[in-house]
Amino acid sequence: MTQPAAGVPPARPAFAHASEAELARILDFYDVRWTYEPDTFPIGWSLDGEVVESFSPDFYLPDLDLYVELTTLKQKLVRKKNRKLRRLRELYPDIRIKLFYARDFRMLLLKFGRMALVDELTGTTGQATPPRPADAGPEPEPVLSLAELELPELDPDLLVAGPATTPRGRRRGRRRRRGAGEAGPVAVEALATEDPDPPPA
Amino acid sequence: MTRTADLQGDIGDVLLTEEDIAAKVAELGRQIAADYGGRNLTLVSVLKGSLPFMADLMRQIPLPLRIDLMEVSSYGGTATESSGLVRIIKDLSASIADEDVLLVEDIIDTGLTLNYLVRYLRGKNPASLRICTLLDKPARRLVDIPVDYVGFEIPDQFVVGYGLDYGERYRNLRFVGVLRPEVYTPAD
Repeated sequence: MTQPAAGVPPARPAFAHASEAELARILDFYDVRWTYEPDTFPIGWSLDGEVVESFSPDFYLPDLDLYVELTTLKQKLVRKKNRKLRRLRELYPDIRIKLFYARDFRMLLLKFGRMALVDELTGTTGQATPPRPADAGPEPEPVLSLAELELPELDPDLLVAGPATTPRGRRRGRRRRRGAGEAGPVAVEALATEDPDPPPA
Repeated sequence: MTRTADLQGDIGDVLLTEEDIAAKVAELGRQIAADYGGRNLTLVSVLKGSLPFMADLMRQIPLPLRIDLMEVSSYGGTATESSGLVRIIKDLSASIADEDVLLVEDIIDTGLTLNYLVRYLRGKNPASLRICTLLDKPARRLVDIPVDYVGFEIPDQFVVGYGLDYGERYRNLRFVGVLRPEVYTPAD
Protein backbone atom coordinates (compact mmCIF):
# COMPACT_ATOMS: atom_id res chain seq x y z
CA MET A 1 0.00 0.00 0.00
CA THR A 2 1.08 3.57 -0.65
CA GLN A 3 1.00 6.40 1.83
CA PRO A 4 -1.45 9.18 1.09
CA ALA A 5 -0.39 12.80 0.87
CA ALA A 6 1.14 14.46 3.91
CA GLY A 7 -1.36 15.40 6.55
CA VAL A 8 -3.75 12.57 5.76
CA PRO A 9 -3.49 9.74 8.26
CA PRO A 10 -2.52 6.65 6.31
CA ALA A 11 -4.42 3.42 6.63
CA ARG A 12 -1.91 1.06 8.19
CA PRO A 13 -1.22 -2.21 6.45
CA ALA A 14 -1.29 -5.44 8.37
CA PHE A 15 2.38 -5.72 9.23
CA ALA A 16 3.73 -9.22 9.63
CA HIS A 17 5.95 -8.19 12.53
CA ALA A 18 5.83 -5.45 15.13
CA SER A 19 9.34 -4.35 14.18
CA GLU A 20 8.06 -3.54 10.70
CA ALA A 21 5.33 -1.36 12.19
CA GLU A 22 7.97 0.42 14.26
CA LEU A 23 10.18 1.02 11.23
CA ALA A 24 7.14 2.40 9.39
CA ARG A 25 6.60 4.85 12.26
CA ILE A 26 10.25 5.89 12.11
CA LEU A 27 10.01 6.48 8.36
CA ASP A 28 6.80 8.45 8.87
CA PHE A 29 8.48 10.54 11.52
CA TYR A 30 11.27 11.54 9.16
CA ASP A 31 8.81 12.11 6.32
CA VAL A 32 10.17 9.30 4.17
CA ARG A 33 7.44 7.86 1.96
CA TRP A 34 7.14 4.08 1.91
CA THR A 35 5.03 1.25 0.61
CA TYR A 36 4.72 -2.09 2.35
CA GLU A 37 5.58 -5.23 0.40
CA PRO A 38 4.56 -3.75 -2.95
CA ASP A 39 6.52 -6.18 -5.11
CA THR A 40 7.37 -9.83 -5.21
CA PHE A 41 10.36 -10.95 -7.20
CA PRO A 42 10.66 -14.52 -8.44
CA ILE A 43 14.11 -15.90 -7.65
CA GLY A 44 13.73 -19.61 -8.27
CA TRP A 45 11.99 -21.62 -10.95
CA SER A 46 11.31 -25.30 -11.46
CA LEU A 47 12.55 -27.01 -14.58
CA ASP A 48 9.06 -26.42 -15.96
CA GLY A 49 9.53 -22.69 -15.56
CA GLU A 50 7.16 -22.42 -12.62
CA VAL A 51 8.14 -19.96 -9.92
CA VAL A 52 8.96 -21.91 -6.79
CA GLU A 53 10.78 -19.28 -4.78
CA SER A 54 10.29 -15.55 -4.52
CA PHE A 55 11.29 -12.60 -2.41
CA SER A 56 9.04 -9.76 -1.22
CA PRO A 57 11.06 -6.97 0.39
CA ASP A 58 9.26 -5.44 3.33
CA PHE A 59 9.41 -1.81 2.25
CA TYR A 60 9.91 0.22 -0.86
CA LEU A 61 10.95 3.86 -0.44
CA PRO A 62 9.91 5.47 -3.74
CA ASP A 63 11.73 8.77 -3.26
CA LEU A 64 14.97 6.89 -2.70
CA ASP A 65 14.22 4.06 -5.13
CA LEU A 66 15.26 1.69 -2.38
CA TYR A 67 13.89 -1.56 -1.03
CA VAL A 68 14.38 -2.36 2.65
CA GLU A 69 14.18 -5.82 4.14
CA LEU A 70 13.95 -5.95 7.90
CA THR A 71 14.70 -9.14 9.71
CA THR A 72 14.79 -9.81 13.41
CA LEU A 73 15.20 -13.54 12.90
CA LYS A 74 17.82 -15.53 14.71
CA GLN A 75 21.16 -15.58 12.96
CA LYS A 76 20.71 -19.20 11.87
CA LEU A 77 17.69 -18.20 9.86
CA VAL A 78 19.23 -15.01 8.58
CA ARG A 79 21.63 -17.15 6.58
CA LYS A 80 18.75 -18.23 4.35
CA LYS A 81 17.62 -14.67 3.91
CA ASN A 82 21.16 -13.65 2.97
CA ARG A 83 21.16 -16.29 0.29
CA LYS A 84 17.84 -15.11 -1.10
CA LEU A 85 19.03 -11.55 -1.06
CA ARG A 86 22.18 -12.44 -2.96
CA ARG A 87 20.11 -14.32 -5.49
CA LEU A 88 17.82 -11.33 -5.86
CA ARG A 89 20.79 -9.08 -6.53
CA GLU A 90 22.15 -11.50 -9.12
CA LEU A 91 18.87 -11.67 -10.98
CA TYR A 92 17.85 -8.04 -10.62
CA PRO A 93 21.06 -6.05 -10.48
CA ASP A 94 19.25 -2.75 -11.02
CA ILE A 95 17.36 -3.11 -7.74
CA ARG A 96 18.68 -1.22 -4.73
CA ILE A 97 17.93 -3.10 -1.53
CA LYS A 98 19.24 -2.90 2.02
CA LEU A 99 18.87 -5.60 4.62
CA PHE A 100 18.32 -4.46 8.19
CA TYR A 101 19.46 -7.17 10.57
CA ALA A 102 18.28 -7.56 14.14
CA ARG A 103 21.49 -5.90 15.26
CA ASP A 104 20.88 -2.92 12.97
CA PHE A 105 17.37 -2.52 14.29
CA ARG A 106 18.57 -2.82 17.85
CA MET A 107 21.11 -0.07 17.25
CA LEU A 108 18.47 2.08 15.62
CA LEU A 109 16.27 1.79 18.70
CA LEU A 110 19.27 2.47 20.89
CA LYS A 111 19.97 5.64 18.94
CA PHE A 112 16.44 6.78 19.65
CA GLY A 113 16.69 5.79 23.29
CA ARG A 114 14.10 3.06 22.82
CA MET A 115 15.99 0.09 24.19
CA ALA A 116 12.96 -0.92 26.22
CA LEU A 117 11.28 -1.75 22.92
CA VAL A 118 13.94 -4.18 21.78
CA ASP A 119 12.59 -7.21 23.58
CA GLU A 120 9.10 -6.21 22.63
CA LEU A 121 9.86 -5.90 18.94
CA THR A 122 12.44 -8.52 18.14
CA GLY A 123 12.29 -12.24 17.67
CA THR A 124 9.16 -14.23 18.08
CA THR A 125 7.71 -11.98 20.76
CA GLY A 126 7.52 -9.26 18.14
CA GLN A 127 5.18 -11.20 15.91
CA ALA A 128 2.15 -9.08 15.23
CA THR A 129 -1.11 -10.60 16.29
CA PRO A 130 -3.28 -11.02 13.21
CA PRO A 131 -6.54 -9.08 13.37
CA ARG A 132 -9.47 -11.23 14.40
CA PRO A 133 -13.12 -10.55 13.64
CA ALA A 134 -15.18 -9.39 16.59
CA ASP A 135 -17.26 -12.54 16.50
CA ALA A 136 -14.32 -14.86 16.37
CA GLY A 137 -14.42 -17.96 18.47
CA PRO A 138 -12.12 -18.82 21.35
CA GLU A 139 -8.45 -17.99 21.17
CA PRO A 140 -6.65 -20.64 19.11
CA GLU A 141 -3.95 -22.77 20.64
CA PRO A 142 -0.56 -21.09 20.42
CA VAL A 143 1.60 -22.40 17.63
CA LEU A 144 5.36 -22.26 17.67
CA SER A 145 6.83 -20.12 14.94
CA LEU A 146 9.66 -21.36 12.75
CA ALA A 147 12.06 -19.13 14.64
CA GLU A 148 11.10 -20.80 17.88
CA LEU A 149 11.54 -24.22 16.36
CA GLU A 150 15.04 -23.23 15.22
CA LEU A 151 14.95 -25.24 12.04
CA PRO A 152 17.73 -23.70 10.02
CA GLU A 153 17.13 -25.92 7.02
CA LEU A 154 13.62 -24.61 6.56
CA ASP A 155 13.09 -21.40 4.73
CA PRO A 156 10.00 -19.71 6.20
CA ASP A 157 9.55 -17.51 3.15
CA LEU A 158 9.48 -20.55 0.89
CA LEU A 159 6.48 -21.85 2.75
CA VAL A 160 4.40 -18.87 1.77
CA ALA A 161 6.13 -17.80 -1.41
CA GLY A 162 4.47 -18.29 -4.73
CA PRO A 163 4.13 -16.48 -7.98
CA ALA A 164 4.09 -12.72 -7.85
CA THR A 165 1.30 -11.77 -5.48
CA THR A 166 0.19 -8.41 -6.86
CA PRO A 167 -0.61 -7.37 -10.41
CA ARG A 168 2.25 -4.88 -10.19
CA GLY A 169 4.51 -7.51 -8.76
CA ARG A 170 3.54 -9.98 -11.43
CA ARG A 171 4.22 -7.44 -14.15
CA ARG A 172 7.52 -6.54 -12.55
CA GLY A 173 8.34 -10.15 -12.00
CA ARG A 174 7.81 -10.96 -15.64
CA ARG A 175 9.65 -7.88 -16.74
CA ARG A 176 12.52 -8.43 -14.35
CA ARG A 177 12.72 -12.10 -15.18
CA ARG A 178 12.90 -11.25 -18.86
CA GLY A 179 15.47 -8.62 -17.98
CA ALA A 180 17.45 -11.23 -16.14
CA GLY A 181 17.85 -12.95 -19.51
CA GLU A 182 19.99 -15.99 -19.50
CA ALA A 183 20.08 -16.14 -15.72
CA GLY A 184 16.67 -17.76 -15.38
CA PRO A 185 14.84 -19.98 -15.08
CA VAL A 186 16.97 -21.62 -12.42
CA ALA A 187 16.14 -24.90 -10.75
CA VAL A 188 15.55 -24.31 -7.09
CA GLU A 189 17.70 -27.30 -6.15
CA ALA A 190 20.70 -25.38 -7.37
CA LEU A 191 19.93 -22.65 -4.86
CA ALA A 192 19.58 -24.87 -1.85
CA THR A 193 23.26 -24.75 -0.95
CA GLU A 194 24.50 -23.31 2.29
CA ASP A 195 25.35 -19.67 2.31
CA PRO A 196 29.13 -19.42 2.60
CA ASP A 197 28.89 -15.86 3.87
CA PRO A 198 28.37 -15.72 7.60
CA PRO A 199 25.92 -13.13 8.81
CA PRO A 200 27.36 -10.12 10.57
CA ALA A 201 28.23 -10.60 14.20
CA MET B 1 16.24 1.77 39.90
CA THR B 2 17.74 4.28 37.51
CA ARG B 3 21.39 3.64 36.81
CA THR B 4 23.79 6.50 37.45
CA ALA B 5 26.11 7.25 34.54
CA ASP B 6 29.82 6.88 35.21
CA LEU B 7 31.38 9.39 32.85
CA GLN B 8 34.68 7.58 32.34
CA GLY B 9 33.92 4.07 33.56
CA ASP B 10 31.08 3.51 31.12
CA ILE B 11 33.40 3.87 28.15
CA GLY B 12 34.85 0.67 26.72
CA ASP B 13 37.37 1.94 24.19
CA VAL B 14 38.47 5.41 23.25
CA LEU B 15 37.89 5.60 19.52
CA LEU B 16 39.20 9.14 18.94
CA THR B 17 41.36 11.02 21.37
CA GLU B 18 41.14 14.72 22.02
CA GLU B 19 44.28 15.15 19.92
CA ASP B 20 42.89 13.09 17.02
CA ILE B 21 39.79 15.26 16.97
CA ALA B 22 41.67 18.55 17.21
CA ALA B 23 43.96 17.63 14.32
CA LYS B 24 41.06 16.56 12.12
CA VAL B 25 39.00 19.65 12.91
CA ALA B 26 41.95 21.86 11.98
CA GLU B 27 42.36 19.95 8.72
CA LEU B 28 38.66 20.31 7.90
CA GLY B 29 38.81 24.00 8.72
CA ARG B 30 41.68 24.55 6.29
CA GLN B 31 39.87 22.64 3.58
CA ILE B 32 36.63 24.55 4.07
CA ALA B 33 38.42 27.91 4.18
CA ALA B 34 40.12 27.11 0.88
CA ASP B 35 36.83 26.12 -0.74
CA TYR B 36 34.75 29.05 0.51
CA GLY B 37 37.14 31.98 0.18
CA GLY B 38 35.32 35.11 -1.06
CA ARG B 39 31.86 33.61 -0.54
CA ASN B 40 29.06 34.28 1.95
CA LEU B 41 29.45 31.26 4.17
CA THR B 42 26.91 30.36 6.84
CA LEU B 43 27.56 27.39 9.10
CA VAL B 44 24.34 25.75 10.25
CA SER B 45 24.64 23.34 13.13
CA VAL B 46 22.13 20.99 14.67
CA LEU B 47 21.72 20.97 18.42
CA LYS B 48 22.72 19.43 20.64
CA GLY B 49 25.27 16.89 19.46
CA SER B 50 27.09 19.14 17.01
CA LEU B 51 27.77 21.89 19.52
CA PRO B 52 31.43 21.06 20.40
CA PHE B 53 32.30 20.30 16.79
CA MET B 54 30.70 23.53 15.58
CA ALA B 55 32.47 25.57 18.25
CA ASP B 56 35.86 24.13 17.34
CA LEU B 57 35.35 24.07 13.57
CA MET B 58 34.26 27.67 13.18
CA ARG B 59 37.42 28.83 14.96
CA GLN B 60 39.49 26.90 12.42
CA ILE B 61 37.93 28.71 9.45
CA PRO B 62 39.53 32.16 9.04
CA LEU B 63 36.68 33.62 6.99
CA PRO B 64 34.00 36.21 7.85
CA LEU B 65 31.34 33.56 8.25
CA ARG B 66 27.97 33.53 9.99
CA ILE B 67 26.64 30.79 12.20
CA ASP B 68 23.14 29.61 12.96
CA LEU B 69 21.65 26.82 15.01
CA MET B 70 18.72 24.47 14.59
CA GLU B 71 17.18 21.83 16.78
CA VAL B 72 14.84 19.10 15.64
CA SER B 73 12.90 16.60 17.65
CA SER B 74 14.18 13.05 17.68
CA TYR B 75 12.06 9.99 17.14
CA GLY B 76 10.64 8.67 20.36
CA GLY B 77 7.61 6.68 19.30
CA THR B 78 6.29 3.69 21.11
CA ALA B 79 4.86 0.48 19.80
CA THR B 80 1.36 1.61 20.56
CA GLU B 81 1.20 5.23 19.57
CA SER B 82 2.16 7.30 16.60
CA SER B 83 4.74 9.96 17.30
CA GLY B 84 3.84 12.13 14.32
CA LEU B 85 6.39 14.00 12.31
CA VAL B 86 9.76 15.43 13.12
CA ARG B 87 9.40 18.94 14.54
CA ILE B 88 11.66 21.93 14.20
CA ILE B 89 12.18 22.87 17.85
CA LYS B 90 14.48 25.75 16.98
CA ASP B 91 14.51 27.23 13.51
CA LEU B 92 17.16 29.35 11.85
CA SER B 93 17.32 32.86 13.25
CA ALA B 94 18.12 34.51 9.90
CA SER B 95 17.43 33.92 6.23
CA ILE B 96 19.89 31.75 4.34
CA ALA B 97 18.56 32.75 0.91
CA ASP B 98 21.49 33.23 -1.48
CA GLU B 99 23.96 32.22 1.23
CA ASP B 100 26.46 29.40 0.85
CA VAL B 101 25.36 27.08 3.61
CA LEU B 102 27.46 24.38 5.21
CA LEU B 103 25.45 22.04 7.41
CA VAL B 104 27.64 20.91 10.30
CA GLU B 105 26.73 17.52 11.77
CA ASP B 106 28.28 15.50 14.57
CA ILE B 107 27.49 12.07 13.12
CA ILE B 108 25.66 10.61 10.15
CA ASP B 109 24.42 7.06 10.47
CA THR B 110 21.01 6.25 9.00
CA GLY B 111 20.84 9.60 7.22
CA LEU B 112 17.16 10.02 8.15
CA THR B 113 17.61 13.26 10.08
CA LEU B 114 20.06 14.61 7.53
CA ASN B 115 17.69 13.80 4.68
CA TYR B 116 14.95 15.74 6.42
CA LEU B 117 17.19 18.71 7.17
CA VAL B 118 18.59 18.90 3.66
CA ARG B 119 15.11 19.01 2.18
CA TYR B 120 14.09 21.63 4.73
CA LEU B 121 17.11 23.85 4.12
CA ARG B 122 16.88 23.55 0.33
CA GLY B 123 13.40 24.99 0.65
CA LYS B 124 14.97 28.18 1.99
CA ASN B 125 16.81 28.77 -1.29
CA PRO B 126 20.46 28.93 -0.27
CA ALA B 127 22.98 29.64 -3.02
CA SER B 128 24.56 26.30 -2.19
CA LEU B 129 24.21 23.62 0.45
CA ARG B 130 26.98 21.28 1.49
CA ILE B 131 27.40 18.89 4.38
CA CYS B 132 30.22 18.48 6.85
CA THR B 133 30.24 15.74 9.46
CA LEU B 134 32.80 14.84 12.06
CA LEU B 135 31.79 11.18 12.12
CA ASP B 136 30.39 8.99 9.40
CA LYS B 137 28.99 5.55 10.08
CA PRO B 138 28.33 4.31 6.52
CA ALA B 139 27.47 0.76 7.58
CA ARG B 140 24.19 2.04 8.98
CA ARG B 141 23.19 4.29 6.10
CA LEU B 142 19.61 4.01 4.99
CA VAL B 143 19.34 7.25 3.05
CA ASP B 144 22.35 7.92 0.87
CA ILE B 145 23.23 11.60 0.76
CA PRO B 146 26.55 12.85 -0.59
CA VAL B 147 28.65 14.24 2.24
CA ASP B 148 31.22 16.82 1.23
CA TYR B 149 33.48 16.88 4.29
CA VAL B 150 33.99 13.84 6.51
CA GLY B 151 36.21 13.83 9.56
CA PHE B 152 36.32 10.17 10.46
CA GLU B 153 34.65 7.07 9.11
CA ILE B 154 33.88 4.95 12.15
CA PRO B 155 32.83 1.33 12.67
CA ASP B 156 29.32 0.30 13.55
CA GLN B 157 29.55 0.86 17.29
CA PHE B 158 27.57 3.05 19.63
CA VAL B 159 29.77 6.05 20.39
CA VAL B 160 29.43 8.90 22.84
CA GLY B 161 31.43 11.97 23.78
CA TYR B 162 32.42 15.24 22.10
CA GLY B 163 28.73 16.15 21.90
CA LEU B 164 27.32 12.68 21.32
CA ASP B 165 25.06 11.38 24.04
CA TYR B 166 23.30 8.40 25.41
CA GLY B 167 20.28 9.46 27.44
CA GLU B 168 21.59 13.05 27.39
CA ARG B 169 24.78 12.00 29.19
CA TYR B 170 28.43 11.82 28.10
CA ARG B 171 28.25 14.85 25.79
CA ASN B 172 30.97 16.60 27.78
CA LEU B 173 33.64 13.95 27.24
CA ARG B 174 36.61 15.44 25.42
CA PHE B 175 37.06 12.29 23.32
CA VAL B 176 34.82 9.92 21.36
CA GLY B 177 34.45 6.52 22.97
CA VAL B 178 32.47 3.32 22.61
CA LEU B 179 29.82 2.91 25.25
CA ARG B 180 29.98 -0.38 27.13
CA PRO B 181 27.03 -2.55 26.05
CA GLU B 182 26.07 -3.25 29.66
CA VAL B 183 25.27 0.45 30.03
CA TYR B 184 22.37 0.21 27.61
CA THR B 185 21.49 -3.45 28.04
CA PRO B 186 19.02 -3.95 30.87
CA ALA B 187 20.24 -6.34 33.53
CA ASP B 188 18.25 -9.58 33.89
